[in-house]
Amino acid sequence: MMENFDMITQTFVGQIISGYFGTVAFAIIFGVPRKFYNVAGIVGAIGWTVYVALQRYCDLTGVEATFCASMTITFASRCFAVTEKCPVTLFRICGLIPLVPGAGIYWTIYYLMANDFHRALSTGFVAIKMVIAIVLGMVIIAGLPNKFFKLLEKKKKIANS
Amino acid sequence: MNQKPTEISDALDLATKAGYILLQNGAEISRVEETMNRIAKYFGVDAGNFFILSTGIFCTGNTRNLKKNDPNFKPEQFADVKYIPLKGSRLDKVVEINQLSREIEQGMYTLEEANEKLDIINQKPPKKAWIQTVSSGVGSFFFCSLFGGGLRDCMVSFVAGLILWIFVMLVSHQHISKLLLNLTGAVIATAVCVIALELGLGVSLGHMIIGSVIPLIPGIAFTIGIRDLVDEDYLAGATRLIDAVVVFFGIAMGVAITLLIYSRFMGGIIEL
Repeated sequence: MMENFDMITQTFVGQIISGYFGTVAFAIIFGVPRKFYNVAGIVGAIGWTVYVALQRYCDLTGVEATFCASMTITFASRCFAVTEKCPVTLFRICGLIPLVPGAGIYWTIYYLMANDFHRALSTGFVAIKMVIAIVLGMVIIAGLPNKFFKLLEKKKKIANS
Repeated sequence: MNQKPTEISDALDLATKAGYILLQNGAEISRVEETMNRIAKYFGVDAGNFFILSTGIFCTGNTRNLKKNDPNFKPEQFADVKYIPLKGSRLDKVVEINQLSREIEQGMYTLEEANEKLDIINQKPPKKAWIQTVSSGVGSFFFCSLFGGGLRDCMVSFVAGLILWIFVMLVSHQHISKLLLNLTGAVIATAVCVIALELGLGVSLGHMIIGSVIPLIPGIAFTIGIRDLVDEDYLAGATRLIDAVVVFFGIAMGVAITLLIYSRFMGGIIEL
């Protein structure tokens, strides 16, 4: 029973909630204005949901899931940047934090120092692949024309009026 | 309708100042360039040239084109170089200057007012220390969960994140190199996790550590660096990415050193 309760963080809902609050915490550390906390959190939660869902239910590898999540986050932050009228950077930085392969980099260095070169190589390569996946995901969405996102703005105006 | 051309040096000074604050607080090169151009153009400088790196702004301009038909007009020249250290970023300043530059474009400010507004933005105090510390702990808690830790691991990460940020706040006012700061920070966070594991509070050491050191992660430098590379600002992007890599390396060394010492006591490599 105790073990089950301990792993409550690993349920799907637990992961989404963690994604939201983790991103909000980072938004605070990076000095994002208060009114954008919620949106930043939503972007982070969406990205992480995609990442976890693809891995758990579609059997994608971590790198592939990272790629899709990176695309989703960049897309969501561009949409929110238009509707909230603020720089894209804000949401993208906060949203991408969970995907940055910090763990991979730390373990690589640890295995290197511990002379376990085989594991150092394999974790190191996965970390590099993840960085490339993040970059590619960002680039593809960054290539979408601005006009596409401006549509959102107009729609919102009509909805408001 | 543009304003009457003011002194070129004032207009470009203003633009450079805005660029300085933007760059220091984690904006992409393309955004800095765009904002500076927007401000300079509105205040009547059409021949301003900016060359922007991650650590510096080079700005020149002249008024040759302004009054071509006036024979008595003496063209002015302006040149300025600013060095910008890579320091901690504050995204709220980026947002406000972005907003300000748009308002300037709509003619809501005179040059003096804009200058004052810039000073106000630049002197905005950071978030209170305890808020930052708590959010560091909360961030550690939830990131430990994101990377696969159970509830007990998350609790340990929370405490380690708090302690880590208290250390960062204490040390950040001293002149300490970035590498050393992150290295010692990671050593402290990892040590807290190791102690917690020995006391039987946590379950999985790897998850606890990754959660605890996450507040140090150079997220802004990393993302902006990639963004600059994609925008073909290769020099600036490389500078940012190297900055990020140095921080990553510092953290990784801190974690690895502590784990190595621990594994000497335990014998063999620790399974993570």
